[in-house]
Parts: sequence; C-alpha cells; structure tokens
Amino acid sequence: MFRPVKLTRLTIQVPEDQISAVMAVLGDLRLLHLIRVEETHLGHLGYVAHIDTSLLEHYDSLLARANRLLRDLGPAGPSSGIRKVPRPDKAIFRLEEDFALIEKEALEPLERKKKAKNAISEHEALIARLQLLEPAKIDLDRLHDLRYVTWRAGLIPEENLNKLEQSLVDTHHTLIPVGRKERRVALLAMSLKEDEEALLRALKSAFCDPLELPPGIHGTIGTALDRLSAELEHLKTEFAGLDTKWAELTRKYGTRLKCLREEILLARQLLKAQAEFGQIDHTYLLTGWIPVALFEELKKQIIKATSGKVLVDQVDPEDIKEVRSGILKIPILFNNPMLIRPFERLTTLYGTPSYEEVEPTVFLAVSFLLLFGMMFGDMGHGAILCGIGYYVFRKMYRYIDYGIIIMECGVSSMIFGLLYGSVFGLEDLIPALWMHPMEEINHFMMMSAFLGIGVISLGLILNLMNVIRQHRYGELLSTSGLAGALLYWLGVGLIARYLLSGELSPFEVIFAKVAAGALIILMILQRPVRAVLAQRRTGKKGERIPPGFGGTILESFIEVLDDLLRYLANTVSFVRVAAFALTHAGLFIAVFSLADMVRGVHGKGLFYWVTIILGNIVIIALEGIVVSVQTLRLEYYEFFSKFFRGGGKPFQPLLEEEEFPGHVTRS
Amino acid sequence: MILAVARYAYPNAKVRALRSRRLTAQDRHFLLEARDFSSFLAYLATTPYGRVLPDLEGEVPDPGVLERRLARSLMEDYAKVARSLRGKREQELVLALFSRFESENLKVLLRALFSGLGKQAVSHLLYPLGKLSALPWDDLWACNNPAEVADLLIRNPFGQALKHAIPQFNVQGRLFPLEMALDLSCFQRLKQAISGLRSRSDRKAAKRILGPYVDMLNISWVIRLKIHYGLSHEEIVNYSLPGGELLTLSNLHRLARAEDISKFMEQIPRSLQREIGEVREWEDFYPYLETWLLRLLARFFAGPPFHIGIEICFLLEKEMELTSLITLLEAKAQGLSPDKTVKKLPRQFSEVAHV
Repeated sequence: MFRPVKLTRLTIQVPEDQISAVMAVLGDLRLLHLIRVEETHLGHLGYVAHIDTSLLEHYDSLLARANRLLRDLGPAGPSSGIRKVPRPDKAIFRLEEDFALIEKEALEPLERKKKAKNAISEHEALIARLQLLEPAKIDLDRLHDLRYVTWRAGLIPEENLNKLEQSLVDTHHTLIPVGRKERRVALLAMSLKEDEEALLRALKSAFCDPLELPPGIHGTIGTALDRLSAELEHLKTEFAGLDTKWAELTRKYGTRLKCLREEILLARQLLKAQAEFGQIDHTYLLTGWIPVALFEELKKQIIKATSGKVLVDQVDPEDIKEVRSGILKIPILFNNPMLIRPFERLTTLYGTPSYEEVEPTVFLAVSFLLLFGMMFGDMGHGAILCGIGYYVFRKMYRYIDYGIIIMECGVSSMIFGLLYGSVFGLEDLIPALWMHPMEEINHFMMMSAFLGIGVISLGLILNLMNVIRQHRYGELLSTSGLAGALLYWLGVGLIARYLLSGELSPFEVIFAKVAAGALIILMILQRPVRAVLAQRRTGKKGERIPPGFGGTILESFIEVLDDLLRYLANTVSFVRVAAFALTHAGLFIAVFSLADMVRGVHGKGLFYWVTIILGNIVIIALEGIVVSVQTLRLEYYEFFSKFFRGGGKPFQPLLEEEEFPGHVTRS
Repeated sequence: MILAVARYAYPNAKVRALRSRRLTAQDRHFLLEARDFSSFLAYLATTPYGRVLPDLEGEVPDPGVLERRLARSLMEDYAKVARSLRGKREQELVLALFSRFESENLKVLLRALFSGLGKQAVSHLLYPLGKLSALPWDDLWACNNPAEVADLLIRNPFGQALKHAIPQFNVQGRLFPLEMALDLSCFQRLKQAISGLRSRSDRKAAKRILGPYVDMLNISWVIRLKIHYGLSHEEIVNYSLPGGELLTLSNLHRLARAEDISKFMEQIPRSLQREIGEVREWEDFYPYLETWLLRLLARFFAGPPFHIGIEICFLLEKEMELTSLITLLEAKAQGLSPDKTVKKLPRQFSEVAHV
C-alpha cells in the first residue's frame, strides 16, 4: 500500500509460429507493461518486429463490417464480455464465419429498411415542395404543355425579389410569388422560350433554390398531393413491418455483435503490440515489466501454450545497469485498496511517484478526508454529499472515482458533524461529542495548527524515507532533510512544552539555543563544504576553493532563511482549517438570520423554509467547492512539497481500457 | 443633444486619439518615394504600422503575409471603437461593418475546404480578427464541407445566407454563390443595423456615410463583374449590394448594360459624375471613387461630432489608408515607379505627399 507493486523485468524469446499463442496468454494476463524495442539495444540495431499487415487489414475490414452492422442495428444490450483472449491468427477464421452468418440474415432486411426510409424522405420532401406551390392551384399538365413559354419554380430569399424583378426588366417575364418559407419566397417564374437563358441567369444570381418536380407528377397540385400522400402512407406501413423485423434482429444479434467487435478490437491491439517486439530472423523477443508475484504463473502458462518452445526469463531491476544509472525507469503500478484507489487521480494530478519513492496516495486520502471533514463538518450536509456521491457512482460510469471520493467526503463530514453536534446548521438537535467550533474558536485554531504540525511532520518523515531509499544522503543535512526536520521538531517541542507547563527552564533554553545554532550552521555550511570537497576531487591542483565560494555561502544562508520561514508559513497555513469550519458555521448563522427576517415579514411558513433550504443548497455548493480546493491546496503545497518529487512513469498495461471497451472475464 | 454629448463624448475622444496615429504627409511622401521594397519596409517600421510588422532583420517578408499583418492595426482599432461605445445597437453597427472581415476569413475557409487544404496552408491569408469576432472558428475549421459550415452558423446571418446559397453551390459546383452570399449578408446586416439605431441623427449620419460607401463598392463591383468576370447584366443586378444612396437598382441595371466607358459614365448620377469626371480607363475608377469618399469623410470630421458617424468615418478612413498602403506595398514589391503607383492611389494620398 505504501509502495507500488514490486515489478520484475520479463524477457520472452519465442519462435515466429508461436507468437500468437504467447500474445493470447499475455492478453489474458493484461498486467504487462511492454518495453518498446526501439528503446533497447536490439531496437537501435534495427531488429524490430513487423506486424502481419495482411492479417491486420483483415481485422480492419471485419471491424468496419461490425461497426456498420452495429450502427444499422442500433443500440443493443451490454456485451457479455470475452471469456478468453483470442489468438489473432486463429480467431480470424471463426470471426469471419460468425459475421458471414449474421450478415446473411441481417443485411437484406436492413437494406430494405434503408431504402424504405429513403423513399419516405423523398416523398416527404416532394410533398413539402408541392405544398409550397399548392396555393397557386396550378395544373402541371398545362404547364408542361406550354410551347412558347418556359417556367421555373423555386425559393428565393425575400430581399432578392426586387433585384430579380429589376434584373429581368428587359425581358418579357412574370414572377408569381405563391408562398413563403423561412424568409424565402416560393416563386413561379415564367418567360418566353427564347429568353430562357436570361431567366435562368437571373434566377441563378438571385440564389434561387430550384423546386424541381419529377416527371411522373401530373394533374393539379392538389391531385398530385393526394396521390403522393397515399403512397407515403403505404411506405410508412411497409417501414413499420421492417421496423419490427429490425427490432427482432437487434434482439437476436446485438449483444453477440458487440462481443464479436470487442474480440476484433482485442485481436487488433495484440497484433499492433507486435510492433514493439524485437525480431531476429524467425525469433521474436519481447520484454516488459510485470508484477513479481505473477511471473511464475505466467511462465507456466506460456510454456504450456507453446509446448515448451519458448524461453522466459526474469531480471531483477537491481541487476539492470540502465535502471541503476537512471536511464530506464521502472513504471509505477499502484496498489491501493478500493476505497483509497480513487485518490490516485489526485496523486497523479500532482505527479507520478518514482519507483523508489513512498507511494503517497494513502496518506493523501486519509489527510484529505480528515481536513475536509473538519472544514465541512455537518451531519445533514455530509448525508447529502453521500447521496450525490452515490448517484455519481451508480449513474455516471466515467466519474465513478469522483463518486467514491464524494461519498467518502460525505461520511467524513457526517463524522465531524457528530463531533460538532451540527445537523443542517442546527446545533441543538444532537449533543456535540467534541465541541461547537463557534464557541471555542481559540481552542479550535490551536488544534488546527497542531494538525498542521502533524501533517508537516509526516511529510518530513516520508522525505527522510525517500532520501534513504534513493541514496541521496547529502540532503540529510539540508533544511528539507534531517537537520531541517530536527530544528522544526525542536521548535514544536519548545512551544508544546511552554503551552503545557508555562516557562522553560534555563537548561532547556540553553539546550534549545545551542542545538538550533548548531543545526542552522550545519544547514548553511553543508552546501559550501560539499562544493569544496567536490573541487578537491575534480579541480586543478592548487585550486582548493571553488570559484564563487562567497556567493555560495550567501546563497546557502538565504536559502536556509527562506526554508525556515516557509516551515513557519506552512504551519500557520493550517489555521485555515479552523477558519473554514468557522465560515461554515458563520454561513449558517447568516442563513438563519435571513430566514428570521423573512419570518418577520411573511410569518413562519413556506418562505421561512424556502430560505432555509435555499441557504443550505448555496452552502453545500459554494462551500463544498471552496473547501475541496483549500484541502487540495494544503495537500499539494504544505504536504506533498515536503517529500514528493515525482517524475515516475505510469504503468501502461498491454490492453488499455480506453482503447478496449470490453472486459476480459477469466473463466 | 445633451444625451448625444454624454453618449458620444468618450467614443469621440477615443476616435480622435486613434485618428492622430494616421500616416502623416511626411510618412506618405517617404513611403511613396522609397527606392525599393526594403527601403519601403524600413521606413514603414518607423510609422505607427511598425508595431505590427514582423522582424525585418532576416529575409525580406512576403508581401502577401505583410498585408494581413498590417491589417492587425485596423482590427485592433475596431475592437477599441466597439468597446468605447456604450449602446448595443451602436456596437452592432460597428460589428456589422467588422463582419466584412469575418466574411473574408470565411471565404478563405470555404476555399480551403473546397481545395482540401488545412488551416495551416492558408493561415497567412486570414485577417487577425482577434476577440471581437464571436464566430466559433475552431469548430468551423473542423467542418468538412460548406453545408456543415452553414449548419454551424445557422444562428448567425452568415449561416442563413450560406444556407440559402447552398442549392446554387450544389448546382454550379463552384464557390462563387457562397462567396457572394457572404458579402451580401454583411451589407444586409449593415442595412439592418443602420435602421436599428435608436437616434434619428445617428441613422441619418450612418446612411449619409455608408450609403456613398456602398455606392462606391457597387460601381466597382459592376466594373469587376462586367469587365473581369464577364457576367450578364441580369446577374450583376442581383449581385449588387443593398443600402446605396445615390444609385438605385435601375441605375445599376443601366450601368451593367453600358457598352463602353463613355456610356457607363453617362449612367452615373450627375452629382457623382462631377467628382469623377476625369476617368478615362476602367481601372481608374476605384482611386477616383476613393478620393470622392475620402473627401466626404473629411467633411464629416469637420462637422458636428456627437453621432455614430464619427466612429464609422474613422474606421472607413483607416481601412482606406490600409488599402492604399497595401497597394503601395504591392507596387514596391513589383518595382513600380512612384509615378505609376500614384495613379492607383486616391488623390489624398499623394497630393500632400511632398515635404
């Protein structure tokens, strides 16, 4: 929990004909972070594996067919998941056969449905066009029979009508507006046959949207509309029949198709992953990181799947030169319990811890909930937050992590509500198990400062652990190391001693002065001394003092001063916990005062309770956001900054969830 | 009157301050007389336009790129003028005038879509519109065809105009109808913005400035569509801009039908004929018309100051200064002599351009 999952480096050498079998086993395992061959010596020499492009293209075409069918069939139920990861080279035959069967039954009715839908749209569009011309009561046959006159129907923007009239002023013409639609005029334009070109030019430049009538339309527009409406009804009936058939097909094949599509996606990903392998002649070489605990099981499965024609090795990260020298980073696979896991998002928002660092999520989660609860302590509000979190958790899959965080914040808020004796701001409903913040402001502020000292001390301890783990012993004497921590604790100890029993004894004062002076001198001088030692090792003979030594001492002095002041500022910063808790209570006072004023005007009825409810909603929304931001601020600036360096590399499993939406269920 | 003073005191002061940054007579003289393109740019860098020029230390920049860089100054002035105005309707008039540049960028976008080019390939042709443009440009550049552009802009006058022109675009298979529709929609919006102004004096001033401006554009469009594009008179009339003051549709129709330049001149209203009577060639029309309009704008600056006309005058004047500068820039890039260049510029640019 306090460290990421222990990983080992896996190397597999496998003949070409067995690569698919190995891929299937790795796909089942999922927890493999592949090392791209380009990043290794083999890759630099050009021994990069090639993807089976024809097989990949086959999968691509299958995917296109699956997508088309799924689109046409519409939404289906959830996929049942894939029981076993397919071997891409074998699975293609089964998938092809399955698709052929589904297509044989589904394509023809789907095509008919599409055609019927198109026919309906065309009929509706034609009817709409004819309806625009209907007021003119035109007999289309007579128009078609005109010998010396040409005619066109169309829609033109209203503002262009005058210009059109003017542009045809030299031509024998008539423009008959017959209706209006969306700021356009439906127009019947006529001219002599010999002026047809001029008419067309004028209509074109007036942005005419031609209403073209198909040749099969005869009689008056009214008759044509009746006939088309009857045809439309018939088409709709036919479409309804096809719709039933479509629903049946969706029921029958929808889920299966989704499952097949997931298999295709999975197989494609496995195939594409091969581009990250090395290849020498007919042998593939793949390397990656897996959890140590899974290695033996994986080795057994791979040997079984390939009938022993494979070499599987593991190398301890400590034995890899590139890892020791920092060229190669071991990825981080978090290992937190379910309730803590959502907070990994907040950790990675700050940075990804490196493999050697303490994994801080659990500390972040606990301190976050503690600080949030203290600032937002109220039974009622906590319960509402819990409810909102539960809703997000159940209904919004994408934000499930945030749902859990909100629920946990709600619980913390409820616990502190119980301690403060506050339910929706009413402090007389239940007794306070600890205190009412508004009644013991000084005490509460002191408690907050001590909480801050606790959090900062934890950060200092975690930093010492990181320094030791990462062998950065030189930093032990710095302000952020052991020397700084001791000075901080010395100061804290003295204050605690003073608060508990009054004045300090002369011995304690002398001890504090000597110890603090020694520590400060140590912190100031550690860097210049190290610089001198480094100069002696690497510098020219006779040059014992590095250039700019005075500047280094001055810099070191200012740095120590700055860091010590920062300790003080960081500690005082935690007083905001009390301040926001008091704001929370203060806002309630404001809401109740407002409600009382309303009661004064309207009596203790609906308006009183509306004010109370609205006030609570505002407090939850406004303060919820402010408190979350402040808590996060305290975590990042006051806590993480003490020990967390980051710069790690996240573990990327072979089959990423984002790319592959289905779930592999183990049989 | 008192209300007008209160409403226009600040915008008027702002515009007068901005107007003081115009090119001086000395600037115009040295720019016109610059011996080559680099000297021209070297002098331009010392004028108020120097701020928007790229670094001139290295290679000589492409004139095409410079044209749009220079326009940044105008775009910034539009933003400043729009901000200085308090009323929404007055701002709408400025925005309607500004929409002509949005329309130019939309045309570039449509051409890029039509030729399958990305934004990067045509970015040097785009006006730097800045925050004044409220169009969703990122979404527009993600569109795949003009119909999608029209759908995206459907709540905007551009969207309506494009939607109405899409059928003709489909029939003709070229962008011309869409481009014309965009231009026409800007002027339709301008016309509506003028009639939407609250005060009668504002409406009157705006009509008296923008009416002649539209007339000038209509005359040059008739020439362009007739001589360069070879369009018929029926089409030219339909493509004319709304909102002119001197030229009616019937005037424009007669201009479109004129067989030669002398017949063309006869159809121009007498008041305007007096102003541009010396024109002998088709290409001379535009500088003469510009000269006429600039004179008109100058008269406005000398008149009563508290109306929207002052802001509009300034923006048009600045735009015409920019147009002249671009003409000069192109002439210098082509190595044309000052004598030949002067003919392409409004008279105001050259007549005081001697020191």
